[in-house]
Amino acid sequence: MARIEVPEPDYDRYSNRQLAAIPLLVLVVAIAIITVTYLSTGTPVALGTDFAGGTEFRVVVDASDNEARELIGTAFAREPDSVRQVGDGGEYVVTFGPEVGNEEATRMEQLLGCADAADTSCASDTQREAAQQVTYRESFTVSAAFGNTLQTQALFGLGIAFGGMALLVFVMFRTFVPSVAVVISAFSDIVVPVALMNVFGIELSLGSVAALLMLIGYSVDSDILLNNHILRRSGGFYESTYAAMRTGVTMTLTSLSAMIVLAVTATFFGIGLLSSIGTILVFGLVTDLLNTYLLNLSLLRWYKFEGVKR
Amino acid sequence: MSLFGNIYPIVRDNWRVGLLVVLVALSTVFLFAPGFADVTAGEGATAQERQTNLKYGLELDGGTRIRAPLVGVTAERVTFGSADDPGQLTATVERDVASELADAEVTDVIVRVDRQTQNEGFEGTVEVTIDNVTTDQLADALSAAGYEFDSTRSGVTDETRQQTVQVLQSKINEAGLSGGTVQTVDTLGGRSFVLVEVPNADRSEVIDLVNSKGSVRVVAYFPTEQNGSTVYQNTTLIEQEQFQRISNAREADNTQGLGPRVPVRVTENAAPDVQQRFIETGIASPGGTRCTYTANPNGTDPCILLVADGEVVNAFGMQPSLADSMQTGQWSADPAFVLTTTNFSEAQQVAVDLRAGALPAPLDVGQGGSGTASFISPTQGDDFKINSLIVGIISVFAVSGAVFVRYGEAEVALPMIVTALSEVYALLGFAALLQFPLDLSVIGGFIAVIGTGVDDLIIIADEVMSEGEVNSRRVFQSRFRKAFWVIGVAAATTVIAMSPLAVLSLGDLQGFAIFTILGVLVGVLITRPAYGDILRALLTDK
Repeated sequence: MARIEVPEPDYDRYSNRQLAAIPLLVLVVAIAIITVTYLSTGTPVALGTDFAGGTEFRVVVDASDNEARELIGTAFAREPDSVRQVGDGGEYVVTFGPEVGNEEATRMEQLLGCADAADTSCASDTQREAAQQVTYRESFTVSAAFGNTLQTQALFGLGIAFGGMALLVFVMFRTFVPSVAVVISAFSDIVVPVALMNVFGIELSLGSVAALLMLIGYSVDSDILLNNHILRRSGGFYESTYAAMRTGVTMTLTSLSAMIVLAVTATFFGIGLLSSIGTILVFGLVTDLLNTYLLNLSLLRWYKFEGVKR
Repeated sequence: MSLFGNIYPIVRDNWRVGLLVVLVALSTVFLFAPGFADVTAGEGATAQERQTNLKYGLELDGGTRIRAPLVGVTAERVTFGSADDPGQLTATVERDVASELADAEVTDVIVRVDRQTQNEGFEGTVEVTIDNVTTDQLADALSAAGYEFDSTRSGVTDETRQQTVQVLQSKINEAGLSGGTVQTVDTLGGRSFVLVEVPNADRSEVIDLVNSKGSVRVVAYFPTEQNGSTVYQNTTLIEQEQFQRISNAREADNTQGLGPRVPVRVTENAAPDVQQRFIETGIASPGGTRCTYTANPNGTDPCILLVADGEVVNAFGMQPSLADSMQTGQWSADPAFVLTTTNFSEAQQVAVDLRAGALPAPLDVGQGGSGTASFISPTQGDDFKINSLIVGIISVFAVSGAVFVRYGEAEVALPMIVTALSEVYALLGFAALLQFPLDLSVIGGFIAVIGTGVDDLIIIADEVMSEGEVNSRRVFQSRFRKAFWVIGVAAATTVIAMSPLAVLSLGDLQGFAIFTILGVLVGVLITRPAYGDILRALLTDK
């Protein structure tokens, strides 16, 4: 069977500054993107229905794509913010903004269910005809106020998780530079995916928050492995580094392959929660490769060869 | 003896594997043995055949979930003054406060006496549980009514919330929505929400149930003479708690000329008072009364009004025979009564509301409310079930593929995948044992567990196989211990990172967090050490 070996990079050809420059540049660009988004929209990343509030319907329409989109607009008697096709056709996720609350959403359900001319809840004859071809299978409404509470909770949660992780790392390593290296890597592993969400126009959902929290765990995995090999083992720096890389890169690539598959299949089936977990973890794991083996490594090398002597 | 002598070292060396086998066996029992399934909670799903003891959440089985705070504002430490009868006092305060608020009825104000002090008399809370009353308005109303208070805040008291949960639960049961649950959830910021989950119910059905108080009153509408002119007055005839028995709603019976109705019975204690009120208001006059409330409200005989949530559902008079039996006082010996409505569904609603009692505070899911509601049809739930299973299986294949490509040896890779899967299997066993409802977020947790699990197994495999052959137990143990340090720290990090989500019960991610944490614990304590033993057996036997 084919075996894939992790390549051995020529680290000694580059200075610590050169190595650290790339991930730090990426981090700075990411922070810039988030700042610009924050200044122009008021939030560091576009908020999805979970956090901004609004109503989402999942409907099945038995018609061609163009026709279906038209039917949806008519059946709801209101132009949706977005209509997204999911699965292998016929299924759509219809999103309305926070102005559509519970009462309006309940009315929409009645509109979709209106059956015959005697039904007074129908908006019009054309609306009724459209509604007969649009079946709703899922709907949820988040009020703006509830979304706000969730925002606070998510921020709290991320803050506590990150702080707890940092504390644990400092306690376990008891040395400043290696600990800081892990914490900065983890920070960047969270910030860069958030910036990428802005770039790709992905909205923040509960699933993406779960993924960001997961990233703290995944990120620290490979960093601890690297630190452990370099600081706590006998053997040369590059030898230890390579041993750690072989394991660490395998780990990250394995997780990455699982998450790519998760992101693709869950997006195809329109399982929003799982697809956002997958997507954000793909972003984060790629970032983690960069941060662990360029940023963390250069900080460790500096610490090992220059920092300790001082 | 010799048999034992042979087995002992095998057991000693492989007890970790043994533990894993026991765990898998236990999970199998939890998953498939009859008797572990929660029979009472699964009523909604009895129609479908259950192959496992797993309990599916709303996302996978279909149903409606509503999560919302309660409507209301509260004034803390209000001083009521002294009185002989605290019951009388609360009634007075409720009336006083309600009269100062434009939209509030007496039933919208809840006064609770917490304690009695020497100087100030009774002290307690005042809550107003309708929309559109702000804390400032409550403060103004209290001041206008002459009550001092400490502070006002939005939200209701814990007692009110507990009562609301109880009443809601019985309302859901009375409405025939089987398997519905009501509970309170607290957030980190100290806010409390009420979570209502009803399988196989439409969202409008559930919203109607939780967003109205369901207070039912029987009111007299009768003319009085004031300054020479006729003025109609309202007074309560029967309070909700004065009913002893509420029969099922009956359909209209045209042969007997009866409309849709709810037969009721008043408690014996209340009967003489109720009878007296019927007579005083002129409803139980000799010969009965004919009500023309809808057609001619200012010229009708005295009427009985059936008032639900402040709206008049129906107005009717009294038959001569019943009026006579009240006049003679016979009625109070057998205090049966019939509440008529204009249609059957109203009758059903009145019956449900009367039996369950009025909701102390409704859920805030109306216009501009701060709640959330979601509905998933059973068809969509089934789709999610199948599709997420497919997603999970494909993810496992991706992991397996990556591991095989990396190691090339089935001896290393195969146990890795089997071990990772046994973690998920054990978690499914837990879910069945705890009857934890499986939702999409829990499935996300399973996938996360496979991810972190395989990562750790890779660390173990690489460490154990590094630097030459494993030729003794001692070498293996030392390498395994080294690997475990990294795994332990990583596991602790994941547990810390996930614990806020597991505790913050808001949002739908609790299941994800709980199962990720459980998975990490099962992994570090049982399955990953077992993999170490398996690997050692395979490598040292060469």
